[in-house]
Amino acid sequence: MASERLIERKRVFHQYKEDVKERGKPFYPFAMLHDTIMSLVVVSVITGLAIVWKYTTPGDHHTIDPGWLGRLYDAPADPGTINFVPRPDWYFYFLFYLLRIFKWPETVVIGTVGLPTVLLIILLAIPFIDVRPERRLLRRPVAIVASILVVISMGVLTYKGATAKEALGSEIVGHVPSWAAKEGFTGNKQAIAGAKIFAVAGCLNCHTYLGDGGTNLGAPDLSAEGAKNKGIAFQIAHLKCPACVNSGSPMPSFAGLGDARLKQIAAFLEASKGPKK
Amino acid sequence: MATQKLTPKEQVQEAILYPIDWLEERSGLVGGIKYFLFRRVPGDINWFQTLGSATLTAFIVQALTGSILAMYYKPDPQNAYSSIQHITNDVFAGWLVRGMHRWGASVFIILMFMHMGRVFLFGAYKYPRELNWIIGVLLLTMGLAEGFTGYLLPWDQTAYWATVVGINLNGTAPFLGPFISQFLQGGTYIDDGTIARFYAIHMLMIPGAIIALIVLHLYLVIRLGVTSPPWSKEAAGTGSMLKPSRNGRRGLTRPGPRRKG
Repeated sequence: MASERLIERKRVFHQYKEDVKERGKPFYPFAMLHDTIMSLVVVSVITGLAIVWKYTTPGDHHTIDPGWLGRLYDAPADPGTINFVPRPDWYFYFLFYLLRIFKWPETVVIGTVGLPTVLLIILLAIPFIDVRPERRLLRRPVAIVASILVVISMGVLTYKGATAKEALGSEIVGHVPSWAAKEGFTGNKQAIAGAKIFAVAGCLNCHTYLGDGGTNLGAPDLSAEGAKNKGIAFQIAHLKCPACVNSGSPMPSFAGLGDARLKQIAAFLEASKGPKK
Repeated sequence: MATQKLTPKEQVQEAILYPIDWLEERSGLVGGIKYFLFRRVPGDINWFQTLGSATLTAFIVQALTGSILAMYYKPDPQNAYSSIQHITNDVFAGWLVRGMHRWGASVFIILMFMHMGRVFLFGAYKYPRELNWIIGVLLLTMGLAEGFTGYLLPWDQTAYWATVVGINLNGTAPFLGPFISQFLQGGTYIDDGTIARFYAIHMLMIPGAIIALIVLHLYLVIRLGVTSPPWSKEAAGTGSMLKPSRNGRRGLTRPGPRRKG
Protein backbone atom coordinates (compact mmCIF):
# COMPACT_ATOMS: atom_id res chain seq x y z
CA MET A 1 0.00 0.00 0.00
CA ALA A 2 1.22 3.43 -0.94
CA SER A 3 0.58 4.98 2.44
CA GLU A 4 2.65 2.22 4.07
CA ARG A 5 5.51 3.10 1.74
CA LEU A 6 5.15 6.77 2.71
CA ILE A 7 5.23 5.94 6.39
CA GLU A 8 8.23 3.67 5.90
CA ARG A 9 10.28 6.26 4.03
CA LYS A 10 9.48 8.84 6.70
CA ARG A 11 10.67 6.37 9.29
CA VAL A 12 13.92 5.72 7.37
CA PHE A 13 14.61 9.44 7.07
CA HIS A 14 13.92 9.90 10.77
CA GLN A 15 16.34 7.04 11.45
CA TYR A 16 18.90 8.78 9.19
CA LYS A 17 18.58 11.99 11.22
CA GLU A 18 18.98 10.02 14.47
CA ASP A 19 21.99 8.08 13.15
CA VAL A 20 23.74 11.22 11.97
CA LYS A 21 23.08 12.91 15.30
CA GLU A 22 24.35 9.88 17.22
CA ARG A 23 27.24 8.69 15.08
CA GLY A 24 27.95 11.48 12.59
CA LYS A 25 30.99 13.70 12.51
CA PRO A 26 30.93 17.49 12.59
CA PHE A 27 31.25 19.03 9.12
CA TYR A 28 34.13 21.16 10.43
CA PRO A 29 36.91 20.10 10.38
CA PHE A 30 36.41 16.61 8.89
CA ALA A 31 34.42 17.08 5.68
CA MET A 32 35.56 20.68 5.31
CA LEU A 33 39.20 19.64 5.07
CA HIS A 34 38.46 17.47 2.06
CA ASP A 35 36.23 20.09 0.48
CA THR A 36 39.05 22.62 0.87
CA ILE A 37 41.65 20.30 -0.67
CA MET A 38 39.32 19.58 -3.60
CA SER A 39 38.62 23.30 -4.10
CA LEU A 40 42.33 24.07 -4.17
CA VAL A 41 42.78 21.36 -6.81
CA VAL A 42 39.99 22.95 -8.88
CA VAL A 43 41.53 26.44 -8.69
CA SER A 44 44.97 25.03 -9.55
CA VAL A 45 43.62 23.16 -12.58
CA ILE A 46 41.84 26.29 -13.85
CA THR A 47 44.96 28.42 -13.35
CA GLY A 48 47.08 25.73 -15.01
CA LEU A 49 44.83 25.64 -18.06
CA ALA A 50 44.98 29.44 -18.36
CA ILE A 51 48.80 29.36 -18.19
CA VAL A 52 49.12 26.52 -20.73
CA TRP A 53 46.66 28.33 -23.04
CA LYS A 54 48.79 31.47 -23.00
CA TYR A 55 52.32 30.06 -22.94
CA THR A 56 51.93 27.43 -25.64
CA THR A 57 50.70 30.07 -28.09
CA PRO A 58 53.49 30.36 -30.65
CA GLY A 59 55.56 33.52 -31.12
CA ASP A 60 55.37 36.13 -28.38
CA HIS A 61 52.30 34.42 -26.82
CA HIS A 62 49.75 36.83 -28.23
CA THR A 63 49.49 35.81 -31.84
CA ILE A 64 46.40 34.41 -33.47
CA ASP A 65 48.07 30.99 -33.96
CA PRO A 66 46.72 28.12 -31.90
CA GLY A 67 48.69 26.72 -28.97
CA TRP A 68 47.96 23.38 -27.29
CA LEU A 69 44.56 24.57 -26.12
CA GLY A 70 43.58 26.47 -29.24
CA ARG A 71 43.67 30.12 -30.24
CA LEU A 72 43.62 32.99 -27.75
CA TYR A 73 41.16 34.59 -30.17
CA ASP A 74 40.07 34.12 -33.75
CA ALA A 75 40.00 36.80 -36.44
CA PRO A 76 37.51 39.59 -35.61
CA ALA A 77 33.86 38.88 -36.36
CA ASP A 78 32.96 39.92 -39.88
CA PRO A 79 29.34 39.47 -40.93
CA GLY A 80 30.48 40.09 -44.54
CA THR A 81 32.90 37.16 -44.79
CA ILE A 82 31.00 33.95 -44.78
CA ASN A 83 33.94 31.53 -44.79
CA PHE A 84 33.33 30.30 -41.28
CA VAL A 85 32.99 27.12 -39.31
CA PRO A 86 30.02 27.41 -36.98
CA ARG A 87 31.42 25.51 -34.03
CA PRO A 88 30.10 25.80 -30.49
CA ASP A 89 32.14 25.29 -27.33
CA TRP A 90 33.06 21.62 -26.78
CA TYR A 91 30.34 20.89 -24.23
CA PHE A 92 27.72 21.57 -26.87
CA TYR A 93 29.27 19.13 -29.37
CA PHE A 94 26.84 16.39 -28.39
CA LEU A 95 23.88 18.62 -29.22
CA PHE A 96 25.69 19.86 -32.32
CA TYR A 97 26.21 16.34 -33.58
CA LEU A 98 22.58 15.38 -32.95
CA LEU A 99 21.75 17.84 -35.74
CA ARG A 100 23.66 15.76 -38.23
CA ILE A 101 21.64 12.69 -37.39
CA PHE A 102 18.32 14.36 -38.11
CA LYS A 103 17.86 15.57 -41.65
CA TRP A 104 16.72 18.98 -42.76
CA PRO A 105 13.93 19.99 -43.11
CA GLU A 106 11.45 17.31 -42.00
CA THR A 107 13.02 16.01 -38.81
CA VAL A 108 15.65 18.61 -37.89
CA VAL A 109 13.33 20.12 -35.29
CA ILE A 110 13.57 16.81 -33.40
CA GLY A 111 17.32 17.34 -33.08
CA THR A 112 17.25 21.06 -32.35
CA VAL A 113 14.36 21.23 -29.91
CA GLY A 114 12.47 17.95 -29.55
CA LEU A 115 15.12 15.61 -28.19
CA PRO A 116 16.84 18.12 -25.86
CA THR A 117 13.44 19.08 -24.39
CA VAL A 118 12.46 15.45 -23.84
CA LEU A 119 15.84 14.69 -22.24
CA LEU A 120 15.52 17.69 -19.94
CA ILE A 121 12.02 16.63 -18.85
CA ILE A 122 13.22 13.07 -18.16
CA LEU A 123 16.15 14.45 -16.17
CA LEU A 124 13.84 16.62 -14.07
CA ALA A 125 11.44 13.72 -13.55
CA ILE A 126 14.02 11.13 -12.40
CA PRO A 127 13.15 11.37 -8.67
CA PHE A 128 9.48 10.80 -9.52
CA ILE A 129 10.12 7.94 -11.94
CA ASP A 130 12.44 6.11 -9.56
CA VAL A 131 10.58 6.23 -6.24
CA ARG A 132 11.98 3.08 -4.67
CA PRO A 133 14.09 3.76 -1.59
CA GLU A 134 16.82 1.35 -2.79
CA ARG A 135 20.15 3.14 -3.20
CA ARG A 136 22.61 0.25 -3.61
CA LEU A 137 23.83 0.26 -7.22
CA LEU A 138 23.79 -3.49 -7.77
CA ARG A 139 20.10 -3.54 -6.93
CA ARG A 140 19.32 -0.75 -9.39
CA PRO A 141 20.03 -2.47 -12.75
CA VAL A 142 17.92 0.00 -14.77
CA ALA A 143 19.79 2.94 -13.29
CA ILE A 144 23.16 1.29 -14.04
CA VAL A 145 22.26 0.47 -17.64
CA ALA A 146 20.73 3.91 -18.21
CA SER A 147 23.76 5.74 -16.84
CA ILE A 148 26.19 3.62 -18.86
CA LEU A 149 24.17 4.26 -22.03
CA VAL A 150 24.02 8.00 -21.32
CA VAL A 151 27.77 8.24 -20.70
CA ILE A 152 28.58 6.22 -23.84
CA SER A 153 26.20 8.15 -26.09
CA MET A 154 27.28 11.56 -24.76
CA GLY A 155 30.91 10.51 -25.18
CA VAL A 156 30.42 9.23 -28.72
CA LEU A 157 28.38 12.29 -29.77
CA THR A 158 30.96 14.66 -28.25
CA TYR A 159 33.80 12.80 -29.97
CA LYS A 160 31.95 12.76 -33.28
CA GLY A 161 31.17 16.45 -32.96
CA ALA A 162 34.82 17.20 -32.16
CA THR A 163 36.18 15.26 -35.11
CA ALA A 164 33.43 16.20 -37.58
CA LYS A 165 34.81 16.76 -41.05
CA GLU A 166 35.18 20.41 -41.93
CA ALA A 167 35.17 21.70 -45.45
CA LEU A 168 38.38 23.52 -46.41
CA GLY A 169 37.46 26.03 -49.11
CA SER A 170 41.00 26.23 -50.50
CA GLU A 171 41.07 22.46 -51.14
CA ILE A 172 37.55 22.13 -52.43
CA VAL A 173 37.86 24.91 -54.99
CA GLY A 174 40.15 22.52 -56.91
CA HIS A 175 37.21 20.15 -57.36
CA VAL A 176 35.21 22.68 -59.41
CA PRO A 177 36.33 21.36 -62.88
CA SER A 178 35.38 17.83 -61.89
CA TRP A 179 32.00 19.06 -60.58
CA ALA A 180 31.41 20.84 -63.90
CA ALA A 181 32.29 17.70 -65.84
CA LYS A 182 30.06 15.43 -63.76
CA GLU A 183 27.13 17.83 -63.70
CA GLY A 184 27.62 18.94 -67.30
CA PHE A 185 27.97 22.72 -66.90
CA THR A 186 31.55 23.01 -68.23
CA GLY A 187 30.51 25.59 -70.83
CA ASN A 188 28.52 27.74 -68.41
CA LYS A 189 30.86 30.58 -67.27
CA GLN A 190 28.38 31.98 -64.74
CA ALA A 191 27.92 28.56 -63.15
CA ILE A 192 31.69 27.90 -62.94
CA ALA A 193 32.25 31.28 -61.25
CA GLY A 194 29.35 30.50 -58.90
CA ALA A 195 30.81 27.07 -58.10
CA LYS A 196 34.11 28.69 -57.04
CA ILE A 197 32.34 31.09 -54.68
CA PHE A 198 30.19 28.22 -53.41
CA ALA A 199 33.36 26.26 -52.62
CA VAL A 200 35.07 29.00 -50.60
CA ALA A 201 32.13 30.91 -49.06
CA GLY A 202 31.45 28.34 -46.35
CA CYS A 203 28.38 26.73 -47.95
CA LEU A 204 30.05 23.33 -47.65
CA ASN A 205 30.43 23.65 -43.89
CA CYS A 206 26.78 22.68 -43.72
CA HIS A 207 25.81 21.38 -47.17
CA THR A 208 27.27 18.58 -49.25
CA TYR A 209 27.93 18.60 -52.98
CA LEU A 210 29.04 15.47 -54.86
CA GLY A 211 30.57 14.04 -51.70
CA ASP A 212 32.35 17.25 -50.61
CA GLY A 213 31.31 19.17 -47.53
CA GLY A 214 30.47 18.65 -43.91
CA THR A 215 26.70 17.87 -43.65
CA ASN A 216 26.74 20.12 -40.62
CA LEU A 217 23.39 20.72 -38.95
CA GLY A 218 21.70 18.27 -41.26
CA ALA A 219 21.68 20.71 -44.20
CA PRO A 220 20.55 19.12 -47.51
CA ASP A 221 22.78 17.82 -50.29
CA LEU A 222 22.80 20.27 -53.20
CA SER A 223 24.16 18.04 -56.00
CA ALA A 224 20.76 17.98 -57.67
CA GLU A 225 19.35 21.30 -56.43
CA GLY A 226 18.82 22.52 -60.02
CA ALA A 227 16.62 19.53 -60.80
CA LYS A 228 13.91 21.15 -58.68
CA ASN A 229 13.85 24.04 -61.21
CA LYS A 230 13.12 26.67 -58.60
CA GLY A 231 14.64 29.39 -60.75
CA ILE A 232 17.46 31.91 -60.40
CA ALA A 233 15.22 34.53 -58.75
CA PHE A 234 14.17 32.08 -56.02
CA GLN A 235 17.78 31.03 -55.36
CA ILE A 236 18.91 34.65 -54.97
CA ALA A 237 15.99 35.48 -52.66
CA HIS A 238 16.76 32.38 -50.61
CA LEU A 239 20.46 33.20 -50.30
CA LYS A 240 19.62 36.71 -49.14
CA CYS A 241 17.13 35.64 -46.50
CA PRO A 242 16.70 31.88 -46.14
CA ALA A 243 14.10 32.08 -43.39
CA CYS A 244 11.90 34.46 -45.44
CA VAL A 245 11.54 31.92 -48.23
CA ASN A 246 11.83 28.76 -46.19
CA SER A 247 10.17 29.40 -42.85
CA GLY A 248 12.24 28.34 -39.85
CA SER A 249 15.44 27.75 -41.80
CA PRO A 250 18.55 28.03 -39.59
CA MET A 251 20.72 28.99 -42.59
CA PRO A 252 22.31 32.42 -42.20
CA SER A 253 21.86 35.20 -44.76
CA PHE A 254 24.49 35.41 -47.50
CA ALA A 255 23.36 38.88 -48.65
CA GLY A 256 26.85 40.13 -47.73
CA LEU A 257 28.29 38.48 -50.87
CA GLY A 258 26.63 41.10 -53.11
CA ASP A 259 24.16 40.74 -55.97
CA ALA A 260 26.66 39.84 -58.71
CA ARG A 261 28.11 36.91 -56.78
CA LEU A 262 24.74 35.73 -55.54
CA LYS A 263 23.59 35.61 -59.17
CA GLN A 264 26.59 33.42 -60.04
CA ILE A 265 25.89 31.05 -57.15
CA ALA A 266 22.24 30.89 -58.21
CA ALA A 267 23.31 30.05 -61.78
CA PHE A 268 25.55 27.31 -60.41
CA LEU A 269 22.78 25.85 -58.26
CA GLU A 270 20.31 25.89 -61.12
CA ALA A 271 22.92 24.24 -63.41
CA SER A 272 23.35 21.43 -60.88
CA LYS A 273 20.84 18.95 -62.21
CA GLY A 274 22.50 15.99 -60.52
CA PRO A 275 25.49 13.93 -61.68
CA LYS A 276 25.23 12.43 -65.17
CA LYS A 277 25.26 8.67 -65.26
CA MET B 1 27.34 48.77 40.97
CA ALA B 2 29.93 46.30 42.10
CA THR B 3 32.16 45.77 39.10
CA GLN B 4 34.15 42.61 39.01
CA LYS B 5 37.86 43.09 38.58
CA LEU B 6 39.02 41.52 35.31
CA THR B 7 42.48 40.11 34.70
CA PRO B 8 44.26 41.43 31.55
CA LYS B 9 43.61 38.11 29.82
CA GLU B 10 39.91 38.32 30.52
CA GLN B 11 39.89 41.91 29.28
CA VAL B 12 41.35 40.82 25.93
CA GLN B 13 38.78 38.03 25.66
CA GLU B 14 36.06 40.52 26.46
CA ALA B 15 37.30 42.87 23.72
CA ILE B 16 37.33 40.10 21.14
CA LEU B 17 33.99 38.66 22.11
CA TYR B 18 32.18 42.00 22.31
CA PRO B 19 31.76 42.61 18.53
CA ILE B 20 30.88 38.95 17.98
CA ASP B 21 28.20 39.09 20.65
CA TRP B 22 26.99 42.41 19.24
CA LEU B 23 26.56 40.83 15.80
CA GLU B 24 24.97 37.66 17.18
CA GLU B 25 22.48 39.58 19.28
CA ARG B 26 21.28 41.55 16.27
CA SER B 27 21.46 38.98 13.47
CA GLY B 28 21.81 35.45 14.82
CA LEU B 29 24.48 35.08 12.13
CA VAL B 30 27.12 33.65 14.45
CA GLY B 31 24.78 30.93 15.60
CA GLY B 32 23.93 30.19 11.95
CA ILE B 33 27.57 29.84 10.98
CA LYS B 34 28.23 27.67 14.04
CA TYR B 35 25.28 25.49 13.06
CA PHE B 36 26.61 25.22 9.50
CA LEU B 37 30.14 24.32 10.60
CA PHE B 38 29.35 21.94 13.43
CA ARG B 39 26.28 20.23 11.96
CA ARG B 40 26.80 16.48 11.84
CA VAL B 41 27.39 14.66 8.57
CA PRO B 42 27.50 10.85 8.22
CA GLY B 43 30.86 9.46 9.27
CA ASP B 44 31.27 7.46 6.08
CA ILE B 45 31.08 10.24 3.46
CA ASN B 46 33.87 10.07 0.89
CA TRP B 47 35.82 12.04 -1.71
CA PHE B 48 33.07 11.84 -4.35
CA GLN B 49 31.00 14.03 -2.08
CA THR B 50 33.42 16.94 -2.45
CA LEU B 51 32.32 17.44 -6.09
CA GLY B 52 29.47 19.74 -5.08
CA SER B 53 31.68 22.14 -3.18
CA ALA B 54 34.23 21.89 -6.01
CA THR B 55 31.51 23.04 -8.42
CA LEU B 56 30.72 25.94 -6.09
CA THR B 57 34.41 26.87 -6.07
CA ALA B 58 34.48 26.85 -9.88
CA PHE B 59 31.43 29.14 -9.89
CA ILE B 60 33.10 31.53 -7.45
CA VAL B 61 36.17 31.62 -9.73
CA GLN B 62 33.84 32.47 -12.65
CA ALA B 63 32.11 35.21 -10.66
CA LEU B 64 35.39 36.82 -9.53
CA THR B 65 37.21 36.62 -12.88
CA GLY B 66 34.03 37.70 -14.68
CA SER B 67 33.72 40.79 -12.51
CA ILE B 68 37.32 41.74 -13.28
CA LEU B 69 36.80 41.16 -17.03
CA ALA B 70 33.69 43.38 -16.88
CA MET B 71 35.92 46.29 -15.81
CA TYR B 72 37.72 46.18 -19.17
CA TYR B 73 35.31 44.57 -21.61
CA LYS B 74 33.26 46.78 -23.96
CA PRO B 75 30.02 45.19 -25.14
CA ASP B 76 29.60 46.69 -28.59
CA PRO B 77 30.63 45.36 -32.01
CA GLN B 78 33.17 48.15 -32.65
CA ASN B 79 35.12 47.68 -29.41
CA ALA B 80 34.43 44.16 -28.13
CA TYR B 81 37.20 42.43 -30.07
CA SER B 82 39.81 45.10 -29.38
CA SER B 83 38.91 45.15 -25.68
CA ILE B 84 39.49 41.37 -25.56
CA GLN B 85 42.88 41.91 -27.23
CA HIS B 86 43.63 44.69 -24.75
CA ILE B 87 42.72 42.40 -21.81
CA THR B 88 44.82 39.56 -23.20
CA ASN B 89 47.90 41.54 -24.19
CA ASP B 90 48.09 44.79 -22.20
CA VAL B 91 46.23 44.61 -18.91
CA PHE B 92 48.35 43.32 -16.01
CA ALA B 93 47.59 39.57 -15.63
CA GLY B 94 44.63 40.13 -17.96
CA TRP B 95 45.54 36.99 -19.91
CA LEU B 96 45.43 35.01 -16.66
CA VAL B 97 42.04 36.36 -15.62
CA ARG B 98 40.59 35.82 -19.09
CA GLY B 99 42.18 32.37 -19.35
CA MET B 100 40.78 31.37 -15.97
CA HIS B 101 37.32 32.56 -17.01
CA ARG B 102 37.57 30.79 -20.38
CA TRP B 103 38.78 27.48 -18.95
CA GLY B 104 36.93 27.83 -15.65
CA ALA B 105 33.74 27.64 -17.71
CA SER B 106 34.71 24.20 -19.00
CA VAL B 107 35.77 23.03 -15.55
CA PHE B 108 32.49 24.33 -14.08
CA ILE B 109 30.45 22.41 -16.66
CA ILE B 110 32.48 19.19 -16.21
CA LEU B 111 32.12 19.43 -12.43
CA MET B 112 28.36 19.99 -12.68
CA PHE B 113 28.03 16.82 -14.76
CA MET B 114 30.30 14.85 -12.40
CA HIS B 115 28.40 16.09 -9.35
CA MET B 116 25.14 15.11 -11.01
CA GLY B 117 26.57 11.69 -11.86
CA ARG B 118 27.61 11.20 -8.23
CA VAL B 119 24.16 12.13 -6.94
CA PHE B 120 22.57 9.78 -9.46
CA LEU B 121 24.82 6.80 -8.66
CA PHE B 122 24.45 7.32 -4.91
CA GLY B 123 20.67 7.48 -5.32
CA ALA B 124 20.87 10.73 -3.41
CA TYR B 125 18.00 12.29 -5.40
CA LYS B 126 15.48 10.02 -3.65
CA TYR B 127 13.07 11.00 -0.89
CA PRO B 128 13.28 13.57 0.63
CA ARG B 129 15.80 15.21 -1.71
CA GLU B 130 13.75 15.30 -4.95
CA LEU B 131 13.40 19.07 -4.90
CA ASN B 132 17.15 19.54 -4.62
CA TRP B 133 17.68 17.34 -7.70
CA ILE B 134 15.31 19.61 -9.64
CA ILE B 135 17.17 22.71 -8.48
CA GLY B 136 20.40 21.02 -9.55
CA VAL B 137 19.07 20.28 -13.06
CA LEU B 138 17.97 23.94 -13.35
CA LEU B 139 21.48 24.98 -12.30
CA LEU B 140 22.91 22.73 -15.03
CA THR B 141 20.75 24.35 -17.72
CA MET B 142 21.64 27.81 -16.38
CA GLY B 143 25.33 26.86 -16.56
CA LEU B 144 24.98 25.74 -20.17
CA ALA B 145 23.12 28.98 -20.97
CA GLU B 146 26.08 30.89 -19.48
CA GLY B 147 28.34 28.95 -21.83
CA PHE B 148 26.19 29.84 -24.83
CA THR B 149 25.87 33.56 -24.05
CA GLY B 150 29.50 33.96 -23.03
CA TYR B 151 30.76 32.39 -26.26
CA LEU B 152 29.62 35.38 -28.37
CA LEU B 153 31.31 38.06 -26.27
CA PRO B 154 34.88 37.89 -27.72
CA TRP B 155 33.20 38.86 -31.01
CA ASP B 156 35.57 36.86 -33.20
CA GLN B 157 34.64 34.75 -36.21
CA THR B 158 34.06 31.51 -34.29
CA ALA B 159 31.98 33.32 -31.68
CA TYR B 160 29.92 35.23 -34.21
CA TRP B 161 29.06 32.37 -36.54
CA ALA B 162 28.46 29.81 -33.80
CA THR B 163 25.96 32.27 -32.32
CA VAL B 164 24.29 32.96 -35.69
CA VAL B 165 23.62 29.26 -36.07
CA GLY B 166 22.77 28.82 -32.37
CA ILE B 167 20.13 31.54 -32.53
CA ASN B 168 18.76 30.15 -35.79
CA LEU B 169 18.49 26.72 -34.16
CA ASN B 170 16.49 28.21 -31.30
CA GLY B 171 14.32 29.70 -34.00
CA THR B 172 13.30 26.26 -35.27
CA ALA B 173 11.31 25.60 -32.08
CA PRO B 174 7.59 25.40 -32.77
CA PHE B 175 5.48 28.44 -31.75
CA LEU B 176 8.00 30.13 -29.45
CA GLY B 177 11.05 29.72 -31.70
CA PRO B 178 10.85 32.96 -33.69
CA PHE B 179 10.15 34.96 -30.51
CA ILE B 180 13.16 33.43 -28.74
CA SER B 181 15.36 34.32 -31.70
CA GLN B 182 14.04 37.88 -31.79
CA PHE B 183 14.53 38.25 -28.06
CA LEU B 184 18.10 36.94 -28.14
CA GLN B 185 19.08 39.05 -31.12
CA GLY B 186 17.35 42.18 -29.90
CA GLY B 187 15.92 42.56 -33.39
CA THR B 188 16.00 40.74 -36.70
CA TYR B 189 19.79 40.63 -37.11
CA ILE B 190 22.81 39.96 -34.94
CA ASP B 191 24.31 43.40 -34.26
CA ASP B 192 25.12 45.75 -31.36
CA GLY B 193 21.70 45.01 -29.88
CA THR B 194 22.58 41.33 -29.69
CA ILE B 195 25.95 41.75 -28.02
CA ALA B 196 24.50 44.08 -25.35
CA ARG B 197 21.69 41.62 -24.71
CA PHE B 198 24.01 38.62 -24.46
CA TYR B 199 26.23 40.63 -22.11
CA ALA B 200 23.32 41.56 -19.84
CA ILE B 201 21.99 38.00 -19.84
CA HIS B 202 25.47 36.56 -19.30
CA MET B 203 26.55 38.76 -16.41
CA LEU B 204 23.33 39.87 -14.70
CA MET B 205 20.29 37.74 -15.36
CA ILE B 206 21.66 34.19 -15.36
CA PRO B 207 24.30 34.71 -12.64
CA GLY B 208 21.61 36.26 -10.44
CA ALA B 209 19.40 33.22 -10.99
CA ILE B 210 22.36 30.87 -10.41
CA ILE B 211 23.25 32.53 -7.10
CA ALA B 212 19.65 32.34 -5.90
CA LEU B 213 19.42 28.67 -6.90
CA ILE B 214 22.77 27.87 -5.23
CA VAL B 215 21.50 29.42 -1.97
CA LEU B 216 18.37 27.25 -2.16
CA HIS B 217 20.45 24.21 -3.11
CA LEU B 218 22.74 24.66 -0.09
CA TYR B 219 19.82 25.42 2.22
CA LEU B 220 18.27 22.09 1.28
CA VAL B 221 21.61 20.27 1.67
CA ILE B 222 21.93 21.63 5.21
CA ARG B 223 18.27 21.01 6.04
CA LEU B 224 18.10 17.45 4.70
CA GLY B 225 21.69 16.35 5.31
CA VAL B 226 24.21 14.48 3.18
CA THR B 227 23.62 10.84 2.23
CA SER B 228 25.95 8.03 3.18
CA PRO B 229 27.50 6.14 0.27
CA PRO B 230 24.97 3.41 -0.64
CA TRP B 231 27.52 0.61 -0.26
CA SER B 232 28.49 1.67 3.23
CA LYS B 233 27.94 -1.00 5.89
CA GLU B 234 27.28 1.81 8.33
CA ALA B 235 25.11 4.02 6.17
CA ALA B 236 23.03 6.47 8.16
CA GLY B 237 19.36 5.54 7.99
CA THR B 238 19.82 1.79 7.73
CA GLY B 239 20.09 1.14 11.44
CA SER B 240 23.41 -0.68 11.13
CA MET B 241 25.23 2.49 12.08
CA LEU B 242 24.47 1.71 15.68
CA LYS B 243 26.81 -1.29 15.59
CA PRO B 244 30.35 -0.40 16.59
CA SER B 245 32.82 -0.43 13.75
CA ARG B 246 35.73 -2.85 13.93
CA ASN B 247 38.28 -0.89 11.95
CA GLY B 248 39.11 2.56 13.18
CA ARG B 249 38.61 4.46 9.95
CA ARG B 250 35.26 4.81 8.25
CA GLY B 251 35.29 6.49 4.87
CA LEU B 252 36.76 9.95 4.85
CA THR B 253 36.54 10.87 8.46
CA ARG B 254 38.05 9.20 11.43
CA PRO B 255 35.76 8.28 14.27
CA GLY B 256 35.33 11.19 16.57
CA PRO B 257 35.99 11.09 20.28
CA ARG B 258 32.29 10.91 21.11
CA ARG B 259 31.44 7.28 20.40
CA LYS B 260 28.70 5.38 22.09
CA GLY B 261 27.67 1.78 21.74
